[in-house]
Amino acid sequence: MSPQVLEETLTADAEAADVALAGSGDATAFERLYRTHVARVHSLVRRMLDTDEADDVTQDVFIRAWRKLSTFRGESAFGTWLHRLAVNVVLGRRKSVGVERGRFVTHEDPLDGVSGRGETPELSMDFEKALARLPEKARQVFVLHDVEGYRHEDIARMLGVVPGTSKSQLHHARMALRRHLGGTDERPMD
Amino acid sequence: MNDQWTDRLSEYLDGELEAAQREALEAHLGTCAACRATLEELRGVVARAKGLEDRPPKVDLWPRINARLTPGWQPGVSRDTTVRRFTRRVSFSVPQLLAASIALVLLSGGGAWLALKPDAVAETPQPTATTFTAVSWPSRTDKAVAELQEALTRNESRLDTATVRVVRENLAVIDRAIAEARSALEADPASTYLNLHLANTMRRKMELLRRVNAIAAARS
Repeated sequence: MSPQVLEETLTADAEAADVALAGSGDATAFERLYRTHVARVHSLVRRMLDTDEADDVTQDVFIRAWRKLSTFRGESAFGTWLHRLAVNVVLGRRKSVGVERGRFVTHEDPLDGVSGRGETPELSMDFEKALARLPEKARQVFVLHDVEGYRHEDIARMLGVVPGTSKSQLHHARMALRRHLGGTDERPMD
Repeated sequence: MNDQWTDRLSEYLDGELEAAQREALEAHLGTCAACRATLEELRGVVARAKGLEDRPPKVDLWPRINARLTPGWQPGVSRDTTVRRFTRRVSFSVPQLLAASIALVLLSGGGAWLALKPDAVAETPQPTATTFTAVSWPSRTDKAVAELQEALTRNESRLDTATVRVVRENLAVIDRAIAEARSALEADPASTYLNLHLANTMRRKMELLRRVNAIAAARS
């Protein structure tokens, strides 16, 4: 067994044990799961919602996970299950809050005011800021597809749209973001 | 720029165009520098998205989450019982192996006692949750543990005598707990608590072995 395989085996087994223990009410085991996954969950939430909501929603995700561990059957990795739960919480919040900020990308450049390219350590952060300036639906499609790797069919089902709308929003989001990479100053679309 | 083609660039990039459309677009790209440039920019956006690094929240959210956990959520299980049973934890911090050994003796011995005590098993919360059992656990984990133990044997010369003694004592305690749990499981293989107890004990053994090997490696 190579060191890498050994490490992966140990990690997977340790997590399986922690999931089992947390499912039995062991908060300490659940804390270990939280420590392992909080960065990914928080980043997902932060990118899909406003930054000031991210902490509260991330908490909700883990509270929901604690309460729903009884539904986790181990058919996928715990991280995958938790991630999908986080997406559902984010999308559910959008509906429950009832705030329709999900306007589609318009002719106006949604990234006005966001700095352009620069080969600096802050480049990634600037990209995140640019991402946060996208209209909500375009941002969600972009995050789910390009950052998280969901397919258009899955995204469409989650957002209640047709796959063509998901593809269109993704393209609009990419076109808006490309300027941030130092591309053209033209409008992102006509 | 030709919008007819520009609007299809993302689909092209994602390999979602049908063959005829793809060929037509590729023919256009051969003659349109603007579309080629846009395609590269879109490719850059996708690459940047995939390279985004996850960052934890600026403040630790765990205290607030922990305050909202409800350990007694399982039907028919009193909150007090659940909390009492699962609040102890042993941490094998590197500089505190000796203290860990004492705690391990208490924990493993107590855990084994609980596991073998009929009343304790009867009171144990029965998670409907988890399909995890020791049946799916042993082979690969046993192999991993065996390799870690072999590594420890090789690395022992790098550790001081007192540390080796403490580690050996801990391992002996853990091995006894594992043996007792497995023995109990032979009589009651469906016991969720026993399976969890075995899994947790094995996890602690792996943690201890990993820590000790890490210490030895650091001293090499």
